[in-house]
This record gives sequence, C-alpha cells and structure tokens, in this order.
Amino acid sequence: MPQTEEGLVVNRERFIRQRRSDWQRFETLVSRLRGNRQRKWASRDVSDLSRLYRSICYDLSLVQSREWGARLELYLNDLVAQGHNALYRSAPMSLSVVWDFFAFDFPRTFRRRIRAFSLALSLFLIPLLVSTFVGWQRPDVAEMIAGKESLEAARQNFGQELYTGVDAEYAGQRSQMAGFYVKNNTGIAFQAYAMGAFVGLGTCFILLSNGISIGMVTGYILSAGQPTTENFFSFAVSHGSFELTAIVIAGGGGFVLAQGILFPGQRTRMDSLRHHGLESLKLALGAGAMLAIAAMLEGYFSPLPIPASIKYVVGSCLWLLVISYLSFAGRGGPANEG
Amino acid sequence: MSALQHKKVDTRVVVETPEGADFQFVIAGPGKRVIAWLIDRLIQAGIITLVGILKLFLLPFGEAGAGLGVGGTLIISFLLDWFYFSLFEAYWNGQTPGKRAQGLRVVRTNGTPIDASSAIGRNFLRAADMLPFFYTIGMISMLMTRRLQRLGDLVFDTMVIDERREWISRAGGLTANIEAIPRSECPRRFSVPERTLAVVERLFESDRIISEARREEIARPLSEALRKRLGYVDPQPDPHNPHIFFRTQGFRQTLFLLRVLKTFAENPEGTKFAAKDTGDKRPTSVAASRKQLLAAKTDDFVTSELANFLADDAADRGRARREP
Repeated sequence: MPQTEEGLVVNRERFIRQRRSDWQRFETLVSRLRGNRQRKWASRDVSDLSRLYRSICYDLSLVQSREWGARLELYLNDLVAQGHNALYRSAPMSLSVVWDFFAFDFPRTFRRRIRAFSLALSLFLIPLLVSTFVGWQRPDVAEMIAGKESLEAARQNFGQELYTGVDAEYAGQRSQMAGFYVKNNTGIAFQAYAMGAFVGLGTCFILLSNGISIGMVTGYILSAGQPTTENFFSFAVSHGSFELTAIVIAGGGGFVLAQGILFPGQRTRMDSLRHHGLESLKLALGAGAMLAIAAMLEGYFSPLPIPASIKYVVGSCLWLLVISYLSFAGRGGPANEG
Repeated sequence: MSALQHKKVDTRVVVETPEGADFQFVIAGPGKRVIAWLIDRLIQAGIITLVGILKLFLLPFGEAGAGLGVGGTLIISFLLDWFYFSLFEAYWNGQTPGKRAQGLRVVRTNGTPIDASSAIGRNFLRAADMLPFFYTIGMISMLMTRRLQRLGDLVFDTMVIDERREWISRAGGLTANIEAIPRSECPRRFSVPERTLAVVERLFESDRIISEARREEIARPLSEALRKRLGYVDPQPDPHNPHIFFRTQGFRQTLFLLRVLKTFAENPEGTKFAAKDTGDKRPTSVAASRKQLLAAKTDDFVTSELANFLADDAADRGRARREP
C-alpha cells in the first residue's frame, strides 16, 4: 500500500473501524475473567482471549510502527497490559514443590553456602562462649550488662523442676509459650535475614547481640550451681538443636544477601542480587521451618517433668538428626546440585 | 520508535511480550502504595480482632483452652506479619486486598507474573525497608530507582505497577470534564459513524501541535455537519450566569465535537456497528435504510474532506492554509 499522507489517514480509520469490535470484545472478556481463577475459565473464553490478545498485540505493533497517534497507542497498550496480566500467571505452587524444597533444595543450598554459615556461626558462637564464661566467672558483670531482674528471674525459674505434672495448667501455659516462641524466635531469625540487606551489618548486630544475651543467661545459670544448671541444660538441649542452628542459618542467609550486594563477581550487580536473593531466601525459609519445629519442642517437650537423662538422650538424637539432615539430605537424587 | 517512548519523564516501563509487542506499564507511585498498605494493615488488624473474639470460645475448656487461644493468636499474628502479603501476592497474581482496591499489582521487572519465591522474598525484606520508621529506607530506595523499587523489589527483581487507568475508554482523558449529549437534544438521529469519531479523535491527538484557535477553525465544517445530522441546537445562554456561555463561545465547535466523542465513543450503543452487533431494534424499512445510506454518504464526504484537511495540516503546517 502506498504510504501517501492521504492513504495513511484513510488506512488508519479503516483499521480502527475494522478492529474496534475486537477491542471491545476483548475489554469485556478481560474484565469478566479477571476476577475468576484461571482454572475456572470456560475453554471457549480461553481460546477467544488468547486469539484476541495475539491480534491486539499485532495491532499495537502496527500502530507503534506507523505512529498512528499517541492516544490510540495508549489505548491498545492498556489492552495488551490487561490481557498480559490476565493470561500470564506463574504456575501454582504444589505440595511436591514443598517436599522437593525440604528433601533436596534446602540442605543443598546450605552446603553450597557453608562459608556464609561459618561466618554467621563464628559471629554467634564466639560471643556466646565468651559471654558464658564472663557470666559464669563474674555474675556481677553479667548483671550489669544483661540486667539484674531478667537474669534473676531466669535463675529462679530453673531453680526447681519447671513442672511437676502434665495437667491442664501445663497444657495451657505451654501452648501459650509455643505461640510466643514461634512469633519471637522465628521473627528474630527473619529479622537477621532481612537485615542482611544493609550489607550484612544488621545481621552481624542481631547475631552478636543474641549470642551475647544467650551466653549471659547460660553463664549466670552455670554460676548458680546444681540443680539449676541441670534443669537448664536438660531443658535447652532438645530444642537447641533446631533453634540455634536455624538462627545461625538465617544469619548465613543474611550474609548471602549481603554477598550479592557487595561481591557480584562475574555477574552484573542486579543479576548477582537476583541470584543471591533467591539462594538466601531458601536459607531463611528453611530456617523458619526449623524454628517452627523448635518452638513445638520447646513448648511441649523440653519442660516435661521426666528424668534429665531421657532429655539428654533425645536431645543428642535431635542434634544428630539436624546435623545429618544438613550434611547428607539431598545428596544424589534428581538434578544434583541443581 | 513509538511516540510514547520519547517520554522518559513519566513513570513508564517498556516491556516486550512473548508475542513480540512492546507495551508499557505505569509504575505505581508511593501515594497509592501507602494507601494500599494502610488498607492491608486495617485488614490485618481486623483479622486479629476476629481471632481475639474467636478466642473467647476456647475459654470454656479451662486453662488449657485459654492457653491454646493465646498461643494460637500469637502464631496467627506471626503469620500475618511475615506471610500475609506474600501469600496474597503469590495466589492472587501479585495483588493483596489493598493493592486490588488501589488497582496495583506486583510483577517482575520483565512484566511476567510474580512467582511464590519472589513474593515471599520481597515481603521478607519489608523488615529492612521499614527501618528506622514508616518505610524510610524503602522510600529512599524508591526515590533512587527508575522503577520506584524498595529494597525487597530490587533484590527480588519486582516492581509495583498501576493498572487502573483513567483513559481506559477510548477518549476518557479528553472528555473527562465534558458532559454527554442527552438523547432528547438530538431530535433527528442519535448515531455517529465510527469513521467520523475516528477523525474527531485524530483532531484531538495529543501529538498534534495546533493552537486551540486553529483547531476550532478546522472543527467548524465537521461540527456544523454533525449538528445538522443530529438536529442539535446550541442552548441559549442561561440568563442567571451568562458568562459561562460567552466564555465557551469561542470554542463551541471543538466543545461540541468533544461532547460527540464523549457521547458516542464511550457508549458503543450509539455507534453504528455496535448497534448492528447487538441487533438493531429500530424499524428498517427500505426508505429508512436508503435514507441512512444517503446520510452515511454525506457523512463520508465531510469526513474524508476533513481527513484530507488534517493530513494536509500535518504535512505542511505553517504554509498558506486553505479556507474551508
């Protein structure tokens, strides 16, 4: 078709006249389908929608290339945008994804990121050990740093058996505490992860401060002697396996995030952010699940009025479980190191 | 190069679809995002209140029930804190109730829909964006990025787009403050051919640089032909405040065309083919159809005249102009 000025204008009008009905049909179809789930769309609607969408994409390209006016272009642009968002959705999550994550993806990511984990572990464990020692040898210093009231309360708490029997009081208090542990501890772990966005400084701060405060309590209780110490350690050993490991893993996730910001390596910075973002998120989510388990253990199992020896046996088994899960789960299996 | 792609000042992002068309998203500004966030916070508060009421039903079960209620509330508030936004965004294709109310949607920066991991990740990083108070970090980050992304958006490669458009109908932006012509004021007929509408629209194209006075001049022949066709007569000035009449008098032709556009472009019932589509209820005698045909012909004449005129005008703007 000759591209004279006149020909162009007439063509444009013919184009609008011919295509207008399709545009309107598309508009009504999209607004009708938008609210519904894709699964519930009628097959006729789907084929209509995709056909109309493709043709409108073509219309938009045509209008753009011929410069047939900004208003028409805006209109078609909007139609395409609406159709695009109606048609393209990400695949729905299924249970198999969750299984794959815990069976393969999470432990593999953990092993891939063992260096970030080691950094987080040293930032958590060293202050913990040092402050335990300080709290044990110099309880007065611990009182100064961590506050006398809370330390006294902890010591009194573990001065005798936590519970004498499993009754309604036990169930009520422990449910309450389990909820508290989920909210508080998992919240801390996710905070430790998210603060990695400030080039890892926030993660450092959370790990150090938690290491110090946990160490202070431990040391202070050690200084109190038996049976407080026995009560405390038999209480902490079981859920500690999941809890402490998970907090450090979440911190490691924060450092992976920071690594993506600070050391992009061969990638562009944006690319590196995306890559490390996803990796670090896996660590944080896995840690979150571990903390949910820890909260249930701490809520219902740890304070049970049973002999300390049983708790130690179960606790060591749990530590072994966590360590072997993180070291061996997902080795071999489908798409190794994928 | 499209006309729109030159405008880099506004918050638009070009995205290429798998179908090969380039189209644009409008990035949502902080105002709408704050309102959406407030709505979501209100909903969260509502859920917590509801749970607080439901908790009372556990009281008859004694201490165990009460404890379970408190623990359950804590768990639910934890889930709301960390997963409310992400689960909605994952299952509602990038929308939360607040975002849906504001017409916002989270998509990836390449325009494809958000997946569950990005949804969870970008909302985990809310904890960082929130610091030190009221999303200060997030706001700073949004000011510094072209796509108005907060930290969570940056790391997980997402952006928030504004889907609600004012000009969703074809002439919406033009005729926002224009009244439609009531049917009673058009005694002869109440339809304008699609083709004429397209020409009118072209006259008001925003990339067309002509002065208002010149536009009025160009509009006159078509406007007068249309008045005749519709049988529309301008109302007399309102004696109580005649200044409105006199103020608009200089642009009565363009104003009329805009009203025509408003009436017929946005109301497909008024246009010819749509009437054909939905089944024309009017009696179609031979005489009537011949009359319509004739009318269409005269219309076509005026329209093509005007179309030529516009093309001419665009081609050699500033040269000696033909007078209509």
